[in-house]
Amino acid sequence: MSELLTVRDLRLEFYTRRGMYKVLNGVNLSLRKGEVLGLAGESGSGKSTLGLTIMGLVADNAKIVGGDVIFAEHGNLITNAVWPDGKYVAKRGRKIIKRLNSQLLHIRGKEMTMVFQDSMTSLNPLLKIGYQIGEVIYYHNPRLLAERALARNRATREDMREVVMLLKTREERDLTRFLNEKGLGGLYEQINSIWQRPGMSEVKKERAILSLAGQRLSGFEKSVLEAVRDNKPVTNVPLYRGYRKRLLIREGVRKAVELLSDLSVPHPEKVVDMYPHELSGGMRQRVVIAIALANNPKLVIMDEPTSALDVTIQAQVLELVKRLKSKGSSIVFISHDLSVLAEVSDRIAIMYAGSIVELGETYDIVNEPKHPYTVALLGAVPTLTEKEIRGIEGEIPDLKNLPSGCAFHPRCPYVMDVCKKLKPDLITLGGKRQVACFLFGDSK
Amino acid sequence: MIIAAYNLKKYFPVGSPLGLGRTLEVKAVDGVSIKIPADEIVGLVGESGSGKSTLGRLITLLTKPTSGEILFDVPEGVLAEYEQALESGDADRRKAIEHDYSLLHMSWSGLKRVRRSLGMVFQDPTASLDPRMTVKDIIMEPMVETGHMNGEAARERVFELLRKVKLPEYFAYRYPHELSGGQKQRVALARAISTDPKLLVLDEPTSALDVSVQAQILALIKEIKQELRSGVLLITHNISVAYYMSNHIYVMYAGKMVETGQAKRVIKEPKHPYTVSLMSAVPVINVKKERIILRGEAPNLIFLPYGCRFHPRCPMAFEICGWTSDEVKEDLQYLLEEKYYVDEHTQITVDGRFALKIFGVSPERLKAIIEAERESVASLRAVKEMLPAEGGAAVRLYQGFEPTLKSYDGRQISCLLFETQSK
Repeated sequence: MSELLTVRDLRLEFYTRRGMYKVLNGVNLSLRKGEVLGLAGESGSGKSTLGLTIMGLVADNAKIVGGDVIFAEHGNLITNAVWPDGKYVAKRGRKIIKRLNSQLLHIRGKEMTMVFQDSMTSLNPLLKIGYQIGEVIYYHNPRLLAERALARNRATREDMREVVMLLKTREERDLTRFLNEKGLGGLYEQINSIWQRPGMSEVKKERAILSLAGQRLSGFEKSVLEAVRDNKPVTNVPLYRGYRKRLLIREGVRKAVELLSDLSVPHPEKVVDMYPHELSGGMRQRVVIAIALANNPKLVIMDEPTSALDVTIQAQVLELVKRLKSKGSSIVFISHDLSVLAEVSDRIAIMYAGSIVELGETYDIVNEPKHPYTVALLGAVPTLTEKEIRGIEGEIPDLKNLPSGCAFHPRCPYVMDVCKKLKPDLITLGGKRQVACFLFGDSK
Repeated sequence: MIIAAYNLKKYFPVGSPLGLGRTLEVKAVDGVSIKIPADEIVGLVGESGSGKSTLGRLITLLTKPTSGEILFDVPEGVLAEYEQALESGDADRRKAIEHDYSLLHMSWSGLKRVRRSLGMVFQDPTASLDPRMTVKDIIMEPMVETGHMNGEAARERVFELLRKVKLPEYFAYRYPHELSGGQKQRVALARAISTDPKLLVLDEPTSALDVSVQAQILALIKEIKQELRSGVLLITHNISVAYYMSNHIYVMYAGKMVETGQAKRVIKEPKHPYTVSLMSAVPVINVKKERIILRGEAPNLIFLPYGCRFHPRCPMAFEICGWTSDEVKEDLQYLLEEKYYVDEHTQITVDGRFALKIFGVSPERLKAIIEAERESVASLRAVKEMLPAEGGAAVRLYQGFEPTLKSYDGRQISCLLFETQSK
């Protein structure tokens, strides 16, 4: 399997008035296509920072000391963001962020997206749900929206009758060919979304598809959409940009309805007309997921998507994540709850004090944890058995002055002399298992 | 029995539009009884919005209940007598006992004395500790305020308490912001037990903490309970924690108790459909479970569903669970307009709470649709009869009612499914 994302020796420091915090200390991991990678660790272990750094969302007081984030065909995303040796200067940090932002403008939100923990704060309270979903598509793929609207305008009722015939004989390839011949490629998504909606009678579906045809557009609207479709530069006529945006986002809202109904949101037509505060927590989280999926990203980073939800709603969201996985999305799922991770992820990476201490297949990690920290972490999770749970003695280390050698050694029950002096490397144990501990392998 | 609460209700008034008409009420807790024996941990679980925190605040008198009765520290004999009086309607005897033991009829000075015996730990340790006080002052405050201890004795006690919650003594001079989440929660725990309370209410004590710290705090709570021999009410949404900690468990849904009994039994063999799906939703490492995914969300607490509050989400709901014509209308509308697409001109009107009129569809067709969908669309199970009417059909529904807590299979359960079975 090919690697979609590779993080190599990523190191990041935060500069604050209270001193320098080493938050990421050489993170190594990789994500394959269509895989869900769970990222676990206590709070303060750097798991959220890692997710944000992969997205290039670093604060201006952060200094990327070294490392690579290699993403699909885009190569190393942070080459320009790595600081050379020398002192941290705040002004310089802002400059680097600016450069990084412009570099990632067309990757972030399109090929790589993120779902944040608190859906209330990640949605804009002043904008309707439909607008917020449509906007993402407007910024990254306006052409798609223009094509959709134009295709509806051009299609005739006869074309749509033909389409329904093709759908009934279930020849999907014929449908694509037919639409391409007629130059109606923009309709494909819309037709498919209607046809695959569960719990709707065929008669109703046919009607909905037929009603797609011949949508009226004024001459001016048409010329604007055609300009977008042909990638013509936007002219700087006053009010033109705003008009163009409104026109495209109106189409984006239609697409939002399709996206939401894909995520089994009841009454998506009503939901797109609502404001975030009108929705419940679980529904809002679905909207955030819809925004993240709007442009068919290659990679979705989910930062504690279920931590603020109730178990029953969490179960709904986890079911959704499993469905996305079966559709081939690659996901990095960050959570402090190992039992949640065990449920959704293919592989689990355990983080401690800014580095990965163990990585392996979910089944292996859960059943035969190797690293003493993983063992302790699993021992602290309450299960519905008579097992006595045990906390980990001590506290998570101060990232300002990390312990020498292995960061876990002050809390480790198997501490040896070597642990206090050297930092263990992440070594591969039999195939897919990687662990950073002197107890394993011959790295003593 | 440290606490015996009967039929507690708490309605919060919310503004009516423009200040006109009747004021609406959020029925946060609606007729709940709970008992907390000494030397036992009682778990209270439920989703957010189920009223479990409000119930905790009612018991500790932080909010005044709208109605109901809370008896505090009653001997077993008196309690049995009280329950007998409740059943037989012996108002004099009941009032006499309430006069002696009720928390709600207490004088101001009496309350101040009683507050010594009530300890509480709140969910967010950062918000519940005053940032301008040192740990010593925080722990000392309840002792001094309630007159439990004073001066040097109280100061001595602070250090003793710090040792008890396994914090070093020099933490006494620190401020809350210098502590980590787990340490703050230990301080909050030390404050709660500083007056040797008979009842300790823990409102989501570990939900803001990491699993590793959670395990430490849970062990500490068990230890403290062992030592104080007090009753503990553990409010949590984490079922695994409730299972691990408690002897007895109460499950709440939308302001009502749905199931209560021995923790091990209720969690391992849940009976109420809500408890069943709640338990099936708990992710457990290494257990692949058949999930029962509930549709929708918890109900609006202002306009509660008629009959059983859980029936709109219940996978087991049947005729008399409280279906109303509005619910049936919504489902029928969907079936007629989307799934079967009978005619463009079907129209459904509500004719009272338990009757509907449907126009533009023949009674035979309607009957066929309802028969076919009865299994999958629960609300249609409530259809009692269909009569042909002018231009369509008239539908009448079964009249549902609200279940009450009944004993069944060694637990108490509030579900019509078990009421009809036991009959």
